[in-house]
Amino acid sequence: MLVAVATHAADLDTDTLLPRLARPAPDTTTFVEVRYSALLSEPLVASGSLEHRQDGALVRRVTAPYRETTTLIGENVLVEREGSKPRRFSLDRAPELRGMLASFGALIKGDRALLDRYFAMTASGSDGAWTIELVPRDPKLAHRLAKIRVDGEDDRARCFTMTEPDGDGSVMAVGVRDRTDLPASLERGTLQEWCADGNPR
Amino acid sequence: MSSTRKGLLLACWIAAVAVLGWVVDRSLVVGTDLRLFMPSPRTAQEKLLLEEIGEGPASRLLLLAISGPDPQAVAGTSIALAAALRRSPEFRWVANGQGDVESIPERLLAYRYLLSPTLDAARFDAPFLRLQFEDRLRDLSSPAAGILEPWLPRDPTLELLRLAESWQPARQPGLLFDVWFDAAGRQALLVAETRAAGFDPQGQRAAADALQQAFERARTAPDLTLEASGPGAFSVLMKERIQAEARQIGGLATVGMVLLLLVAYRSVPVLVLGALPLASAGLAGLAAVSAAFGTVHGITLAFGFTLIGVAQDYPMHLFSHQHRGVDPAENARALWPTLATGVASTCVAYLAFLFSGVRGLAQLSVFTVVGLAVAGLTTRYLLPPLVPARVHDAAESEWLGRLWDRIAALPRPLWLGVVVGVVCIGVLWLSPRPVWQDELGGLTPVPRHLIERDSALRHELGAPDVRYLLVIEGDDAQDVLARATALDARLAELVASGSLAAYDHAARYLPTREAQRRRQAALPDGPTLRQALQAALQSTPFRPGVFDPFLEDVERARHLPPLGPEDLVGTPLEARVGGLLLQRDGHWTGLVTLTGLSDPAALERLVAASSGVTMLDLKAASEGLVAHQRQRILWCLLASAVLLTFVVFAALRDGSRVRRVLAPMALTTLVVLGLLHACGVSLNLFHLIALVLAAGLGLDYALFFERAADDPAEQRRTLHAVLVCSLSTLMVFALLAISSLPVLRSIGTTVAAGVVGNFVLALLLTRPRRTTDRGD
Repeated sequence: MLVAVATHAADLDTDTLLPRLARPAPDTTTFVEVRYSALLSEPLVASGSLEHRQDGALVRRVTAPYRETTTLIGENVLVEREGSKPRRFSLDRAPELRGMLASFGALIKGDRALLDRYFAMTASGSDGAWTIELVPRDPKLAHRLAKIRVDGEDDRARCFTMTEPDGDGSVMAVGVRDRTDLPASLERGTLQEWCADGNPR
Repeated sequence: MSSTRKGLLLACWIAAVAVLGWVVDRSLVVGTDLRLFMPSPRTAQEKLLLEEIGEGPASRLLLLAISGPDPQAVAGTSIALAAALRRSPEFRWVANGQGDVESIPERLLAYRYLLSPTLDAARFDAPFLRLQFEDRLRDLSSPAAGILEPWLPRDPTLELLRLAESWQPARQPGLLFDVWFDAAGRQALLVAETRAAGFDPQGQRAAADALQQAFERARTAPDLTLEASGPGAFSVLMKERIQAEARQIGGLATVGMVLLLLVAYRSVPVLVLGALPLASAGLAGLAAVSAAFGTVHGITLAFGFTLIGVAQDYPMHLFSHQHRGVDPAENARALWPTLATGVASTCVAYLAFLFSGVRGLAQLSVFTVVGLAVAGLTTRYLLPPLVPARVHDAAESEWLGRLWDRIAALPRPLWLGVVVGVVCIGVLWLSPRPVWQDELGGLTPVPRHLIERDSALRHELGAPDVRYLLVIEGDDAQDVLARATALDARLAELVASGSLAAYDHAARYLPTREAQRRRQAALPDGPTLRQALQAALQSTPFRPGVFDPFLEDVERARHLPPLGPEDLVGTPLEARVGGLLLQRDGHWTGLVTLTGLSDPAALERLVAASSGVTMLDLKAASEGLVAHQRQRILWCLLASAVLLTFVVFAALRDGSRVRRVLAPMALTTLVVLGLLHACGVSLNLFHLIALVLAAGLGLDYALFFERAADDPAEQRRTLHAVLVCSLSTLMVFALLAISSLPVLRSIGTTVAAGVVGNFVLALLLTRPRRTTDRGD
């Protein structure tokens, strides 16, 4: 009983953590995303910016190594890439994207209800280095997305790590400009350690 | 006749009617194909038109809209409903915007390289593959990665996706939650093709029921509504509305009729007896049509009973002329020459329709001729023994006597008849407005708001226009597909210039065998492709061996026999191609459906420059067909008029008597035509049939007025008979005239106006001259 209370006291509570992360729109932040796939012998890296627009849309703009814009409005996704036809699909067909949208969007909007709708949440760590783990509730989503882990410090998130059931996944570091801001090795363990390390840069 | 024998005769008659009713009820097959009322097609285009109207893909298409407050629930219902309808035997295919990569069967997967146009312009060499792999790497780090990744080892060029995209309607609504939604994002839209033809209300009813059941099971929230539009939905709706309203009016008319007869004859037995000839006539007519044609069209049934309504008048003449001191048999014998002239001339007139070349009208002809003959003969031979000898004598009525005196005092304005006739002809002749309604839609009129809703849905869904079609004729399927492919470039120009929004033809789904072989020949062999793949993958992060399934699929595709229309059975392409590529008596026809055509002239130029392609304007062709049908009916009417005059002449054998009998009828027909036209009504088949009925009624009135002898009592009895007849008919058709349905309304107004005109004109022009002289 005592132990339980002590643990609870030491742990960060999502109720106190989430409001701190909220950013009023419009808000733009840079990111570097590292993608791991079983088809690939080394991960793919893309960098750009994430914009949370006034109208609620989320825009993911890749600027290197190529240019691509993904716009998420409501449930619709529009991918526009230089030199090819725009592609449209809905979040239902891309559960991992719903995960990203729900977690990232809800975090910056402070939308607790949206998070609760899709995920079971647990928070751990301290103010200086915290972790929120999101596990999908919906079996359809869980089929494509095992979990999302958000690492951060104080009032800002640092990494969004998505893990798929087959082991594929991606790590998106926010607030960093390009590849050189990440550790030299993009090996998964190394990058995860970097994310979890709450040291201010 | 003793009362026992009377009772026996009545019992036998009622039993015979009941047995006939039972037989008819067991054997009667009611058909609903509207084409039965169309003339037989003369040209290949008209033949195609009739097939298109009844069975073409456009006529089978149902446009569905699901609405509700929560778009996600609406979308979920759309997905579940589409899945349920795909399993339903009532539907051939359903589209709701969901990508159908998953619905392509495994045996067709390797065909993607033969069906997709990629190899027409590209080769699977190292530079091409290199570009593809670069693109795939970007896909892998894009948000679409999860969707594409499972397919990449097998299909790195995303051929399947390209194919599925090309099979989607060329212009489609926006997607929300993966399904089509309207522009406002409130309604999920679906298109479904029913197995039943559009003008098959029974089949469409079954489809509508299946749809409703599927919707009830598929709905994810209680506050969702489903709306269905399209020719099939309309035919169900109109059939039910017409039946409901006809039943309602029939009920009212029966009550009115009973009251009128009770007031006129003050006898319940007379009421029962009066119904027997009509019942016998209707059932005999049905049995005859059933025996001669196998099926009876719904319209024949409805019109037939309207037309033999004349038969209701026959027993009334008998009753009205019955009085104390005369034997009913004697009475019937005295009336028979007049009655028989009426029956015979009407029957002969209807006989002309037997040769109209329109099956529905031939049925109508058999029905009315048999029905009227039976009604006339039963009134003459079966009814008199049953009529009570002591009935209320119409001649004793004081006010009828006064009425007759007053009528007798009326002038006989022959000049007015001539003037009215000339004015009516003038109105019809000089009016700039077309007299006839040539739209096929006039035959199954659908309320305007439903038509507007339908075109709005059609627009949202980008469903093909129903007016224009290109028709490609060919010796075999491959010939038609090749001609369709040859049109692609020019059609694409029209789309680019904005003359056309989109088009669709069978070759979009099923390329010619030749094109498939050409693409097959363009596929590299195993070692060549492996080499190109290795070169292309150099210095990419793809793991070695990842694309082995791709190599296998290409190798399989190189040895596949090209797909033909017969190979599509059981695939999602079967219905699509089947609707656009038709085989008829060893001859193949391809259709090119058009969406948003704004410049028909440009299309006509395109057609003129292509061989084996014609443009079908369904509206013009159907109007031509209706005009052709009308022409035949008018010829039939002319023939009927001549035959009728001949019969009346044969019966009366006196030029001036014949003139007096025929004048009111002819003049009334002119007056009704003139009035309808002056009121802005365009005439259709229903008006014509109603006019024929009115003419038949008028002939009877005139014959009886003409017969009215010198005896004032007999004159009153005749006036009574004609008054009862015309009042009862007027009541029934006045009720129809206030119907909300255009079909019933046009019949009602025409006949009601005809009854009034015939009655008044028969009084003015036909009553015996001597009576007038005495009145002067």
